[in-house]
This record gives sequence, structure tokens and C-alpha cells, in this order.
Amino acid sequence: MMRYIRLHKIFIKQDLKKLMEYKVDFLLGAVGFLLEQAAQILCLGIIFAGIPALCYTVDGVVVDSWGFNEVLFIYGFSLIPKGIDHLFFDNLWGLGYWIVDKGDFDKYLTRPINSWFYVLCEKFCVDALGEIIIGIVLIIYSTLSMPAQVADAINWWRVLPVLAVMPFAILIFTSIKTATAAISFWTKRSGHITHMCYMTNEFAKYPTKIYNTFIKTAITFVLPFALTAYYPAIYILRGESVWSLPVTVLVSLALFGISQLIWYRGISSYESAGS
Amino acid sequence: MKRLIRIYKPFTRAGLLEMVTYRVNFLFFLLGEIMRCFVMFFVWKAVFDSSDSSTLYGFTYDNMVVYLFITFLCGYITYSDGSYAVGKEILDGSIAMRMIKPVDFDMCFLFQELGGKILQLLIVFAPITIGVETYRWIANGAFMMNVPMFFLFILSLLLAYGINFFFNVIYGFLAFYLKNLWGTGIIKNVIMDFLSGATVPLAFMGSFGKALGYLPFASLSYTPVMIYMGMYSPLEIIFYMSLQLVWLVVFIVSSKLVLSSAMKRLVVHGG
Amino acid sequence: MENKEIMIKVKDLRKEFRKAVKEPGLKGSFKALFNPKYDIVKAVDGISFEVPKGEIIGFIGPNGAGKSTVIKMLTGILTPTSGECCIDGKIPTENRKEYVKEIGVVFGQRTQLWWDLALRETYMVLKEIYEIPEDAYKERMAFLNEVLELDDFITSPVRTLSLGQRMRADIAASLLHNPKVLFLDEPTIGLDVVVKDNIRKAIKKISEESGTTVILTTHDLEDIELLCKRIVMIDKGKKVFDGELSELRRRYGQMRELKFELKNPDDFEKLSYKKDFSFADDDLSIDRTGGTVNVRFNSDVVTVEKMLSYTLSKVHVKDINVKDADIEEIIRRLYLGGGETDETADSHL
Repeated sequence: MMRYIRLHKIFIKQDLKKLMEYKVDFLLGAVGFLLEQAAQILCLGIIFAGIPALCYTVDGVVVDSWGFNEVLFIYGFSLIPKGIDHLFFDNLWGLGYWIVDKGDFDKYLTRPINSWFYVLCEKFCVDALGEIIIGIVLIIYSTLSMPAQVADAINWWRVLPVLAVMPFAILIFTSIKTATAAISFWTKRSGHITHMCYMTNEFAKYPTKIYNTFIKTAITFVLPFALTAYYPAIYILRGESVWSLPVTVLVSLALFGISQLIWYRGISSYESAGS
Repeated sequence: MKRLIRIYKPFTRAGLLEMVTYRVNFLFFLLGEIMRCFVMFFVWKAVFDSSDSSTLYGFTYDNMVVYLFITFLCGYITYSDGSYAVGKEILDGSIAMRMIKPVDFDMCFLFQELGGKILQLLIVFAPITIGVETYRWIANGAFMMNVPMFFLFILSLLLAYGINFFFNVIYGFLAFYLKNLWGTGIIKNVIMDFLSGATVPLAFMGSFGKALGYLPFASLSYTPVMIYMGMYSPLEIIFYMSLQLVWLVVFIVSSKLVLSSAMKRLVVHGG
Repeated sequence: MENKEIMIKVKDLRKEFRKAVKEPGLKGSFKALFNPKYDIVKAVDGISFEVPKGEIIGFIGPNGAGKSTVIKMLTGILTPTSGECCIDGKIPTENRKEYVKEIGVVFGQRTQLWWDLALRETYMVLKEIYEIPEDAYKERMAFLNEVLELDDFITSPVRTLSLGQRMRADIAASLLHNPKVLFLDEPTIGLDVVVKDNIRKAIKKISEESGTTVILTTHDLEDIELLCKRIVMIDKGKKVFDGELSELRRRYGQMRELKFELKNPDDFEKLSYKKDFSFADDDLSIDRTGGTVNVRFNSDVVTVEKMLSYTLSKVHVKDINVKDADIEEIIRRLYLGGGETDETADSHL
């Protein structure tokens, strides 16, 4: 284990050196991601300009509602685990889009380290810092501008458990990417499947209650992105949904197991390229 | 015209064949992209439920649903990645192979892309329009679409595609100067999405939105969508479609200019 | 050599691929859309061989013969459909990580070096990946440096290296952990004559000094002649020859080449070797460009003397000479005998 952490550090260092060679590309990419988030937040602002709070109603009766600040908080929180996964484990996208297709996966199999780990840590994606920074800024900004009684209710007993569960939330992203990227061992390309699953994450950026039962179930248990965003965020804000924390641990471990199974099955079906 | 079709038919065929080969990838990609529509479908529902009035800036919830999906459709149909193809070939120098052939090379990309669109039209256009019309029919108890309007929508959509295509060709040639397609591509797409009203209707942005309406970006999707929804008066239709035409001409002319300037540079660089 | 320790052992190795069958054209594409059909392709069909420690073995065969597939199974990249291969007692499918520590791989068409970084950086990372101790690393680096002359470009970014430099760097990268077996897939592809020669010398030296077993695939038969004592030839997934180069020459080396220039090109019509000597198809081939004629024949069927006197009695020649068929000629015949046509056969009549 220690060896792998050391190796990961070395890979990150190498990648940073590479980055220095292509400063402009990196900057443009980071600006792009930043703008993308900014546009979405601006969009949220425009939508909320017309209403006092986002309400969940049943038969015209308001059951639950979230102020603009709370929605921003949830949105900002959703960027953190996603951004961290993006920062460290982005190379899985490449696997599904071109690494397997071009036969470049050969390289990973001729090294005496775990192939999954090798793919995972080879690339360090600094663009993701844009996402993480915007997430943190949104969380701080929204907390500061919340009504006092909401902000005061937030304490360490709500924040610490969420921080403890954070690695498992990240694991959800990594596992889903791993499982879908590994499909490329059979089909040569699977980046589009990863993309499809990843887009489900869009649902998690808003309060889960506004969706119908089907979507709610899907984003809590099947592609459990709600566990990485809405549930932990609302636990911090209101102390609601305590159950989601242990569920996150269990579901993420289950997903991880499944993804590893698919990965190793996939490797034995890997066909390389050429003759 | 006949000659044009004969020369470029193989490109269209190649585009279609490529799309057939990658049909599964395309389908999954589409499913992923349309997810965003469904997210906003629920978000807008909650927004309208939260509001006292049944309309926001002149949009009812039903309008909003139609807007979401038709905007998505327009975005998909008018999408052009000619920029990437052109840019990539410029950066790796393989554009030289295109220049030694006796064909216009922006036309090659155009017809190749159109070939791919044939299959996209089958898979995307019909289901979404039928879905949207069914939704409107259930919501209003009557058909909301008529034949002339639909025809105008298609025409406006074609103009939008033309604008988008030539805009992207220009951007692709900029690769020559920018030496970067990926980062600048993200920036370009974000700006285009926002200014074209793809993320939020321009009507929501007040007078700023009205000003955006005159920019070429609005011609890309806002104009056809508004025509589809019947939210423009006949006079407005004439005005905005003429505007589309103007932008199309502007982009065609400037793409030719950028092309000739880039070609000169290519010669200096020696490919 | 019989008593040498066996390093690589391959037994009845097989690999099958499923391949989609598509009819040509648009119609075919649409058919495949709704009713995809598959064929089972036997890329490797029961191959067995053994390689003793320290030997350099040449692995040859026409394009698509299945040699890359064998190499990829031996390097643990592909999982065999059946059969087994083991290197120094280790089996790749059982413990890949332990297994690959024993091998080094160079794919000539694909680099394992960090493209954007200085060459030295790649070696630093590999040192960590293979857990090479500092002293061993330094010692090894010094040795590789001496053999492959890396010093000139070790601080340059890999993308700025010439093809020859890159190949040397790649070979060094695969040898850093002192593997027991080195796989070289087309190590001289695209290189000029001088660079080729340097690389061959380096490979030979490394094998001699470190006792590394080398498996080499190539289309350049000069590589084989200069480096390998033994060759394994495969075609259509099956082994067609396995033995020493000299044996190959003995077995197939009766081919001779008779080359002459006619005074009058039209005289060519007077020569009918095939009919007059009743050669079999395999035993004779004739190339002709203008007045220059090139006859390859089997000297076991007709002696050189007879061929010469026959030729000189029928036509007037300006110049005539006879030479031994080189190894390339032999292999060309073997490839053709297998029914497989290759680009090297284009000049063959």
C-alpha cells in the first residue's frame, strides 16, 4: 500500500512537469471549466430571480422548500467529490475512448503493478481544480449569506461524519467510471457509456425530492450520485437523512466490488490491437 | 448542381457509413445528453410550483417543457464538429492531403457531416417532435403545430445549421493561430450555449436578452425554437429569419477570407 | 546446448478471436445492424516450443501469421484460449505482476517512454515501478549507457529524439530491471542501415553479458541472420519450422540463382527451362526485365552445370553469374509454400 502511495506521488510529479511544458493548454482548459460552472450558476441565479424558494409540492401543498442559498450549497457540494475524483483518476476516460481501442493498454499489462491502479494514477488532471475551487467558494458564499438560524445550526457533528464518508462518495465516481470504462475490453470503446452514466450526476446537483420515484431510486441506489451530493449536503444543512451516510459506505463498497470484478473479467478478454 | 451532388455524394455516403458503424456510441451519447433535459424538466416543475403566477416571463410550464426539448433538438441537429476536423487536420498537417484533391475542402466536411445527420435525424428528430407534440396535445387537448409553421421551423433550422457550420470552420482555422482546440473549444461552447439561449431562454434575461437576440448566437437555436413554439408574430418571423440569412452570408464570406489567409500561412510553413 | 536450463516453455498454445463479418457497402452495414454475424478466427492454433536460457530466438512469419498474438500471450497481455506458456516457471495468467518482473518488452511501433518529458524521467519512474534498488539502478544504467550510448540525449524530451535514439532508449527502458527474457517486436523497423547495425550489436552484447534470453520478431531477415542461431517460423497460427538457421539453409538451401543478360532480348523465347527439365512449380521461378533474366532453381533437381550449359547453348549472353540463394529467398519460398502471399512475394513469378 505504501508503495502505491509513493508511486502515485511520483506519477503526479511527472504529470506536473508535463503540465509546465504546456502551460497555455492547461490554463485554457481550466478557464473553460470555470466558465462552464459560472454559466450554470448564473443560470441558477436567473431561474431563482423569479421565485422566493424552490418548493416541493404535493397536490398544491408545499411539503419542503429550499432557499437559493441552500440550492447553491448543494450545487457547490456536488462539485467536491466529483472534482477530487476528476483530479486524481481522470485517466479512466481515456481508457474507454482510445487506450483500449488503439491497443495502448498493452503497456499497463507489462508492468509489475496493479493494472487498474496504473491506469488510474497515470494522469493528474489539474483542470479539476477549477471545479473544486468553485465548489468551495459556493459552499462558503452560501453559508455566509444564509439566515442566521440555518447557519448557526451547522456544527462539527454534522460536518465531520460527512468528511469521513467523503472518500466513499469519491469511490462511487471512481467505481462507476471503472466499471463502464472496463466495458471497452469487450467493445473496444465505451467512453460514451461512461458519459451516459456520468450525465446522471446532473440530477444530483438539485434537491432529490423534486424528482419522481423512479429517478429518486435510480440516483440513490443504482447510479447513486445523490449520495455524493444532495444527501450529505442536506445533512450538513439540516441534519436530515442520517441514514444516507452508512448507506453511502455500503453502496460504494458494493459498487467498487462490482467494478473490480468487471475489470478483471475484462482484462482476460482484452484483445489488444493489430494482428 | 448535378455535378456538385455527384462529386460530393461519396462524402455523404462515408459520413452515413461512419455513423452506422458508431451507432451504439451515438445512441449512448444521446441518452446521456438528453438526461440534462430531464433534470431541467423537474427543476422547472419545482420552479413553477414555487411561483404564485402560472407564467414566468411569458412562459407557462408547458411552454418551458417544449422549449427544453426543442432547444435540445435544435442544438443536436445544428451541431457541427467541422471545427474539430478542420483544426485537427491543420495542426497535424494532414490538411495538405485534402488540398491536393480537386474539391472544395469545406464542402467535403459539409457533405460528410450531412451524411451522418441523416441517421441522426431518424433517431433524434422524429421521436422528440412526436414526443413533444403528444405532450402538447395532452396538455392542451388540441394539436398545436400546423404545416406552414413546421415548414418555417425546418427552414430556420437549416439556416441555423449553415451558420453553425461556417462559424465552426472559422474556429477550426483559428487552430492555426491558437494551437489549441480542446481548451478553447470548451470556452467557445460555453459562451455559445449561454448566448444562444440554450441554457436559459433569452426572454428571462430582460433587455440584455433582447440585445442578445440580434447576435448570431441567437440565430443558432433561439430563433427556430421560438418559431416552433409559435411565440413569434409573422413580422418577427420575417425579421429574425432575415437576420439568420444575413449572419449566414457574413459567416460564409468570412470563412472564405480566413481560409485564404490560413492557406498562405500553410504555404509559408511548408505544410 | 541440450543441457541448458529451459527459460521459456510453450505448450499447445491457442488463441481464438470472434470477428464480426460485414458484407460490403451500405446495405451490408444495415444488415450487420440488425443481424450481426461472427466468425471464429484461430489466430494461434496449437503452438509448442521451448527456449533455453540465454538464447536469441528469431520469430518470423508473414503478416497476420499470428506471431504478434503469440508474443502478446507470452508477455501476459492476452489471455490464451487454451494451452500454457511459462517463463522461468511462472505463468502469466496466474500472477501477472510477478511474471512481468521477469520480462522486458519493446514494441517497435509503440514507445513506452513519457512523450513530453526528458528521457531520464522515464527511467526514474521505471525504477520505482520495478522497485530497483539505488545501487543496482546505477550499475545497470552505466552498463546500458555504455552499450546503447544514451548519454547524448538522456536529458532531451522524448518527442525530440530521432527514431534510432528512441529505439535505443526504449530498449534500455525495457532492460532496466534486468529481466530474464527480452521481447523485441520489430526493433529495427524504419531505421537506417547504420542505426540498425548499432542496435543489433547492442542486443547481442546485452544478451551475452547479462545472459538475457531474447525473443525477436522481425521482417528484416538480416536481423535474423546476424542475431539468431535458431528461428521459429509460424504461418496461419501454426508452427511451420523450428530449428537452427543452418538447418534451414541445409533443408531449403539448394536454391541457386542464375542471372544473365541477353544480347538479344527476343532470344528469351528460346529458353524453356520448365519444359525441358520438368521442374515443379516450387523449384523454379523466372524474373525478366528487358534483357536481364533472373532464374531461381532447385539445384537438387537440376545441377548448376546442366543449367549453365543449357542456357549458353540456347542463347548468346553478355554476362552470366550464379549465386547461392540467401536466407531471404528461402523464407520467401517457405511463405509461399504456406500459401500465404506477402508483400515480399510481389517480385516472384
